[in-house]
Amino acid sequence: MVAIPHKKLRLAALLLLLLIVFMLDIAIGSIKIPLRQVFRSIFSLPGENTIGQYIIEKIRIPKAFTAVLAGCGLSVSGLQMQTLFRNPLADPSVLGITAGASLGVAMIMLAGGSIATLDTIKELGISGSWLIIGAACMGAAGIMLLVVSISGSLSDNVMMLIVGIMISTITLSIISIWQYFSAPELIKDYLLWTFGSLGGVTGNQLYILALAVVAGLIISFLSSKLLDALLLGENYARSMGLTTQRARVIIICSTSLLAGSITAFCGPIGFIGIAVPHMARSLFNTSSHRILIPGCCLIGTLLMLSCDIIAHMPGSQTVLPINIITALVGAPAVIWIILRRNNIRGY
Amino acid sequence: MIKSLRFFIPGIIVLIFSVSCEHATKKEAAADEKGAPEDSLSRKAVIKYARGFSIDYHDHYKLVRVLNNLTGKTDTLQYLLVQRGNPVPAGYPKAQVITIPVRTIIGMSSMHIALADFAEVADRITGLGSLQYVTSPEVRKNIKAGKIAQVGLDGNINKELILSMHPDVLMDMGNPEAGFGRYKTITDGGVPVLLNVEWLETSPLGRAEWVKLMAALVNKEELVNKKFDSLAQDYDKLATLGRGATIKPRVIISMPFKGSWFVPAGESYMAQFLRDAGANYKWSDSKGTGSLALNFETVAPEALMADYWLNVGYVDTKADIAAKDQRFTSFNPFKTDRVYNNNKQVNDIGSNDYWESGAVKPQVILADMIRILHPELLPDHSLMYYKQLK
Repeated sequence: MVAIPHKKLRLAALLLLLLIVFMLDIAIGSIKIPLRQVFRSIFSLPGENTIGQYIIEKIRIPKAFTAVLAGCGLSVSGLQMQTLFRNPLADPSVLGITAGASLGVAMIMLAGGSIATLDTIKELGISGSWLIIGAACMGAAGIMLLVVSISGSLSDNVMMLIVGIMISTITLSIISIWQYFSAPELIKDYLLWTFGSLGGVTGNQLYILALAVVAGLIISFLSSKLLDALLLGENYARSMGLTTQRARVIIICSTSLLAGSITAFCGPIGFIGIAVPHMARSLFNTSSHRILIPGCCLIGTLLMLSCDIIAHMPGSQTVLPINIITALVGAPAVIWIILRRNNIRGY
Repeated sequence: MIKSLRFFIPGIIVLIFSVSCEHATKKEAAADEKGAPEDSLSRKAVIKYARGFSIDYHDHYKLVRVLNNLTGKTDTLQYLLVQRGNPVPAGYPKAQVITIPVRTIIGMSSMHIALADFAEVADRITGLGSLQYVTSPEVRKNIKAGKIAQVGLDGNINKELILSMHPDVLMDMGNPEAGFGRYKTITDGGVPVLLNVEWLETSPLGRAEWVKLMAALVNKEELVNKKFDSLAQDYDKLATLGRGATIKPRVIISMPFKGSWFVPAGESYMAQFLRDAGANYKWSDSKGTGSLALNFETVAPEALMADYWLNVGYVDTKADIAAKDQRFTSFNPFKTDRVYNNNKQVNDIGSNDYWESGAVKPQVILADMIRILHPELLPDHSLMYYKQLK
């Protein structure tokens, strides 16, 4: 690690590695497609094989881009939560945002029995995947508003953390009650959703997800200074003239935007949010968010793409839920970092 | 976020089990029932297609074994069906005792409603796992009259309610390998739990033949044998017709969700349906009796080129499919209007009779499939469970 001292060099090396993994994710899959065809499809040249083209264009490329967006968004929102709460275990789910998105989805998917509600919604012209995404966004936004309004009357971030976890727990309990009274087939669909998936985002959905994630990342990057100041303690931040409450609201908003939109489109994807910030701090040996945010984006994306490749188990015809792979890969990585450094940096 | 992982294990179980849950209607007019009186053991059921259970007849009792042929183990569960008023035979320490003919039944799946309906004992159902998924008019009438209790499904079974109802038998879908552990309170309370593994059968007739287990419980072997033989004959005739078709259209089944596509495995009864209907099904030779969890891109090449798309799930129109995922509109069956769903018989409460009466009417489902894939072979048949999506 000491061999390349320059942080920007490391960022560049990561970027190169990321490009390679991105191409690998598109080139490798259950169906063998010749590399030439892969390149033709990527650069939209007329291809010879329409099936191969369909698979590359409609399945693998959207999936790879979704992995990039989810990897960036989840790891940056995890970093923000860890900084805001100065807690190494915080991740995007601590605020209840993901649980809120899940509640929205559960309301739609498990409401199959009360067809009247569904028909009313359908008359608005929304159906299918958009309906689920819309519901997830509403759920996430609803919980976010609740969290933000409570955060206005709290002075301490530790209290905020506890409130967030409580709200999350309440939301998950409501979902459990709903599941208890739902038919098995409906629960099956909902369970599949909770496994998380990168493969369901296509066409216009991808643009909207990209818009939300990029907006969230911009807010996040612009607030690097706030985050740096928060790291030094709330009293210090206050002495620097920072309104901690306003900083908190900004950070909660960008996290909600990132985690809420990604959960809406991909389902809850765990572990990236906890693991990647630790990896980034360890690799870049800094607590400056100007470095950590792009670092998290790169490592998060790299990890997400690798997990996607593993989840598809090249050579097999099946796909494992992405949630399982991220935990299987992420947990050992965090343990390794802790053993290596014997401490957690940045608090 | 790890929290979501805890959904995984039950999720997989739900996936496996849901291959075959659900529902039934009222039968063809009752065959003459003037056979053996209910308390007689004079008639015997002969099992020809089902591999999941066997019945041995002894003088005043029947020995039922629910097998698990998947792992090569046999005899994992034993049941003694003892004629009311007779002593329990010795020598079967592991067996559960069911006093027959059973007068009250709790069924956990819609399949059990269909079995009872077929044996013409639907009025003996006093409890169901869920009251939401019922088609049988008789059972619905009894639900309305408040004669049937909802006892809950899977982990949410209301054990106190079941024990207080004390049915003569409780039927549940289950894996014999799992044993009785989860039912211990119920069995200790004297309620026998009969696990059905009809969803592991490799043929539609094998699945339907579980009606003979119901027959054994209510001593209606003669009636059920007769009805079953007639439907098996019809099925075989249709299968000969379908298998003999010279052109075998390519068929894809079910709909992908979030990048995963669950298709019937080669040894499932669904794959057998497809072979008997004269379809060309790509995963016909695969191993396994449940479904294969494939990824989207593995099935996509087949879907793009297929002739027909069947059992597409919870959709009613082609617009619904397009709304699920725009990519599906590139599939050849979508473009050529050859998408058929098995939800023609969904009733006012959202229950699909395909899963209820369909389970014991494989000949009708097969006729539907042949009519769809080879219209010229059965020009006069009108679709019963399937409908074309527009």
